[in-house]
Amino acid sequence: MWRAGCMDRRLQTSALLLVSGLLVEGLCLLWARPLAFVVLVGLGGFLIAAGVFFFLYSLLFAAHSGKDGKPDGLQKG
Amino acid sequence: MIFFSALLAAVLVFRPAITIHPGGKILAFGVLFFLPVFCLIAGVDSEMERSKSTAFCLSCHIMEPYGKSLRVDDPTYLAAAHFQNHRVAPDQACYTCHTNYAMFGTFKAKLGGLRHLYVHYLRKEPAPQDIQLHEPYNNRECLHCHLGARSFEQGAVHNADPDTLPAVKANKVSCISSGCHDVVHNLRQLDKVKFWSEAN
Repeated sequence: MWRAGCMDRRLQTSALLLVSGLLVEGLCLLWARPLAFVVLVGLGGFLIAAGVFFFLYSLLFAAHSGKDGKPDGLQKG
Repeated sequence: MIFFSALLAAVLVFRPAITIHPGGKILAFGVLFFLPVFCLIAGVDSEMERSKSTAFCLSCHIMEPYGKSLRVDDPTYLAAAHFQNHRVAPDQACYTCHTNYAMFGTFKAKLGGLRHLYVHYLRKEPAPQDIQLHEPYNNRECLHCHLGARSFEQGAVHNADPDTLPAVKANKVSCISSGCHDVVHNLRQLDKVKFWSEAN
């Protein structure tokens, strides 16, 4: 139970980072100014990359720490 | 697409438990990996394309006189003649001449643009007429279009001296050197010239 909750929290963190990154990217595409390009690549790119890597890291971490080799948060399915 | 992806990711923020089902796992992988990566690549690509547009370059206040110089009604003004006669695509006029037609040219041009932003926001920017190129203008950028063209290869002035054309092609004599095509934007004279309007 604890493991599933832990995985849920990681998914939430990852999704939150991605939502922030995607919103930043969307707003930058609407805001047609040179500074928008820097914000899109710098902040939006960073948040999206962080979200994706955190998600992949969570999957790897879950696979290693889960019982009998199954990802911990995904055992219920 | 971006806002749709953000919406789906938001579902996972509030309902992470949906990943216990196989469909939820697939959804999570799509929403937390494929869609964001796709959106990021598409977004950067779209922004890169937009950053090549004339309107994008001229959206900075300091570039306004350069935009104005494209409408000078005088064929000796190099930038204006290229812009008005569509020798360069009018919607990418700045980029076409100021990019670098070598490997990673676009990347270098955009890095140069970042320097402009740095100077604009964090340093004291020069007056428009005092802006200098980072490095002397390379003939390679002109020859990207003009090499092989009849007017260039067989032009009377270009062939008056047999050494001229090879020197130009080797970038030893600049196309915009004094006495040749040396009136480019010429901002200092902008208040003394006539302007062309497309409506004419």
